[in-house]
Amino acid sequence: MVERTRGLDIACHGLLILGGLLVCLPIYFAFVVGSHTVGDVLAVPPPWLPGDRFFENAATAWQKGNLGRLLFNSLVVAVGITVGKIAVSLLSAFAISYFRFRYRMTAFWLIFVSLMLPVEVRILPTYEAVTNVALPLQWLVDWLGIEITLEWNMMNSYGGLILPLIASATATFLFRQFFLTVPEELCEAAVIDGASPLHFFRHVLLPLSMSNMVALSIILFLYGWNQYLWPLLFTTEKDMATAVIGLKHLIPQSDAEPAWNVAMNAALLVMLPPALVVVALQRWLVKGLVDSGK
Amino acid sequence: MEKTKRAFVGGLLAAAMTAGLAGPSSAQQRIEIQFWHAMGGVLGERVDEIVKRYNASQTKYTVVATNKGNYDEVINGTIAAYRAKKAPHVVQIYERGFMTMLLSDAIVPVQDLLTEKKKQIDWGDFIKPVASYYQYKGKLMSMPFNSSAPILWYNKEHFEKAGFAAPGPTWQELEKQLYAIKSKGIADCGSSLAGDFFWSLIENYSTVNDQPFGTKANGYDGLDTVFVYNKTKVVEQTKRLKKWIDDGIMQIAGQGLSPEQLYTSGKCSTFFASTAAHGSVERDAKIKWSATYLPWEEGTTPRNSSIGGATLWVMKGQKAEDYDGVADFLAFVASPDLQLWWSKVTGYVPITNKAYEVAKKEGYYTANPTREIAILQLNRGTPTANSQGFHFGNYTQTTFALRQELEAVWANKKTPQEALDDAVRRGNEILRQFEKLHAGKY
Amino acid sequence: MQASTSVAELPATPRVAGKRRTASAGGTAGLKRAHYRNSRLPLLLLLPQLLVLLLFFFIPAVRALVQAFVITDPFGTTVHFVWFDNFRALFASPEYRSSVWVTLWFTLAQNALTLSVAAVLAFATDRVIRARGLYRSIVLLPYAIAPVIAGILWAFLFNAHVGPLTYVLKALGLAWDPTRNGVDAFLLVTFAAAWKHICYDYIFLVAALLAVPASLLEAAAVDGAGPSLRFFKIALPMIGPTVFFLLVMNFVYGFFETFAIVDAVTKGGPGGATMILVYKVYQDGFVHIDLGSSAAQSVLLMIFAVALTLLQFRYVERNVNYDV
Repeated sequence: MVERTRGLDIACHGLLILGGLLVCLPIYFAFVVGSHTVGDVLAVPPPWLPGDRFFENAATAWQKGNLGRLLFNSLVVAVGITVGKIAVSLLSAFAISYFRFRYRMTAFWLIFVSLMLPVEVRILPTYEAVTNVALPLQWLVDWLGIEITLEWNMMNSYGGLILPLIASATATFLFRQFFLTVPEELCEAAVIDGASPLHFFRHVLLPLSMSNMVALSIILFLYGWNQYLWPLLFTTEKDMATAVIGLKHLIPQSDAEPAWNVAMNAALLVMLPPALVVVALQRWLVKGLVDSGK
Repeated sequence: MEKTKRAFVGGLLAAAMTAGLAGPSSAQQRIEIQFWHAMGGVLGERVDEIVKRYNASQTKYTVVATNKGNYDEVINGTIAAYRAKKAPHVVQIYERGFMTMLLSDAIVPVQDLLTEKKKQIDWGDFIKPVASYYQYKGKLMSMPFNSSAPILWYNKEHFEKAGFAAPGPTWQELEKQLYAIKSKGIADCGSSLAGDFFWSLIENYSTVNDQPFGTKANGYDGLDTVFVYNKTKVVEQTKRLKKWIDDGIMQIAGQGLSPEQLYTSGKCSTFFASTAAHGSVERDAKIKWSATYLPWEEGTTPRNSSIGGATLWVMKGQKAEDYDGVADFLAFVASPDLQLWWSKVTGYVPITNKAYEVAKKEGYYTANPTREIAILQLNRGTPTANSQGFHFGNYTQTTFALRQELEAVWANKKTPQEALDDAVRRGNEILRQFEKLHAGKY
Repeated sequence: MQASTSVAELPATPRVAGKRRTASAGGTAGLKRAHYRNSRLPLLLLLPQLLVLLLFFFIPAVRALVQAFVITDPFGTTVHFVWFDNFRALFASPEYRSSVWVTLWFTLAQNALTLSVAAVLAFATDRVIRARGLYRSIVLLPYAIAPVIAGILWAFLFNAHVGPLTYVLKALGLAWDPTRNGVDAFLLVTFAAAWKHICYDYIFLVAALLAVPASLLEAAAVDGAGPSLRFFKIALPMIGPTVFFLLVMNFVYGFFETFAIVDAVTKGGPGGATMILVYKVYQDGFVHIDLGSSAAQSVLLMIFAVALTLLQFRYVERNVNYDV
């Protein structure tokens, strides 16, 4: 932008304002609906301004949707995925970038392959894997002829919600890319000083990776919080669902009372934590997205 | 380095071994019987009451009832649990799951079980449509629990204002009446389309008017049955429904608006729904309501309607001593007193003739005449090959295909004949797969 | 330091101006020049990742493959091996073909909508100085919102009976009913999906536009080029790789990540109008318990997903000119 063209500038501001409105429109209406009574919501024409029942509806939503418990579950799952994926990926990325060993390329390709298949494509068998995680061990045991039954059902457990979602290598590749840009001198210095690889990892690489880790954490936290398909399949107990799934149950179905006000209110409550994260940690998020191409 | 590795491997082995030991240790005072059902809301509270009564009536067993969602969710949850070897003892499965459960090799036939455990049940006393639906080779496979039939609910005021005493017994007359009500400005909506209209308005239409739904007596006589409802009067019925929708007589409630509420709030004059809606209609109706039989085609003698609802199945794979408890609980559920009570508080029909007689003698139906309609309709005449029930494999899937095709009709994307033809084609593919899978087992 | 291979660039980083990457063979690809020669430690470090991958990726993927060739009853007690029958049935099924078309149209529509709106907003953001951060914050918000919530919000806005936007449409004389009309349902799902994803495209486009060297633009301006000419002749080609990258990512999003929206809003209806492929896999497998067909559909989707990934890294990385 070199010259000052008032007309174009105003047009741009106008477009951006329109864009902002477009983005906010659903959220605004969610707030409007979430603060009225059911009767008001069903009226024609619908209310355009917020009402005064926001906190009342919030209490109903909290109680009806068991939001206290579900929000907690969402938190555990989101944090679990974040921590789990980052930890596992850091180790793997370190291993394939900084070590020369016989199976390096094999490991590399095995991890690479896992990038190709998004989780939605292997829903059913992953579901079966979660219902009996020990199945492969069982096969091994059967093959060896030992007579024990091994069973590990991860349904309705935090493990079942977290583990299948860290089984992809996107974060590994991110860290690998980053490690490749780390100056060689650092490692050479560590070797000269006689530091063990783990020492180098802990005291040199990790601090350097901090900003990447933070950015990735935000992305993963949001990813974990907003997960839908897996909690849908893996939790059959009402208490183990995540907030997002609980919200689905609050949507008025065709044969029940159309309590849209409660549903919208709950939607706002559920989107609040991730929204706060995005607003507060915006810069990190943008950096993370652009750097990772995720 | 060696230490970490050893610790690692040791930890892995330990994890593997403890995984195998997963599961609670037993040795409880009472044996627990797991019972999964699909009754929510008020109905769920009634189920809890039944369970409470049973648990209080004896000391050996405790039944634990869990509401696993709606009927689809219950059957899917049971299947998943069974595959993971964690199935419940007793599960409530809807009527259209009959063939799937029967040929699954995962169930214990109820009549066999109770006879073996020497429980005294009058197996011949179940009302005809119930017995005929759930029997195989003359024996009941599952314990009837909640059975219903669809009836025609109507708004007395609307009909009176238009000059009619009651909805006409035939479809033709009812159509005239509803159009008259609308043209006179009494009500804008003649009927609201319920979520289970395929049951009340298509399947039951087929049985009441003695139309075959599929060959081989609706699947009773063999797995090589073929759907034929695209060649029967069901086509006329579909055309009629489409006409009503186009003319605004029949309203399709959208997401978030209940068809029942359209009726109870006085907006729509009629509502085709299960007799089990008595509880909610009595509670919510702001109108003078009543109910009558489902209409039939002019010139035909109406037959019985087909049952809806669910039954209790017993799953294989439990500990041997648990089955005594299961039999005990099921005998309790089947007792006439409990059946009568359950029928009264829910609106489901009494499933044994004895319970029905007791209710009649008490004068219950004189005081509540609409509650008798369903059972009179179910007992009307002798069931024919077309009205005894439906024994189709993977029936949920074929029903879904039918529903999806009819949605296309309402959306003006297909004609009724096209849609029914497609539904039959899809349904037959599903039936053939079922036949292939279970060849020789029926 | 030797530049790494294109393989090493996954997931793709759309660097606008970067070094040419050269392919290098096998064993030392992606290995730091200064490295350790330990053989046990790396295996231990890799163990958690590989274990999780084994249990939750490889074994399920193989089992999906196997299950595609059988028909089985829901309880798993009867299993018949049927070769390619499941696949044949899929290709012959009008419902599956319809689902393929729906998915393609949906992805294209959603892609076009997202990219165009994001491009307009990015261009506008690039031009303004004041309040740039504020605009960006607002547009970024949907990133925090789960797809399912986006679906619910738009489902309400366009609800046939109580939706505020429906009211507006009806006031304008347009009929609207997503529960009966397939086209309306399709539009609804498309809007919801695009709304949710605009921020993602927007961020990348803003970053890409920022990376266009100001000197080039200034030189062009001095030569007399107006803003739109500068945009079309200079900026657009330079953000080309980013646009291409976004096209592919939008495809992936539309194909796979919109499951939640469909499940919350239309469940594939009415009459299959929003039955995207990934939803059909779920419905056939989990609701209808037709495991063989669901697995076969999964396999077909897998093939497609692999093709997309290969396309992404081959085409995006190689065929796009980085040296402007």
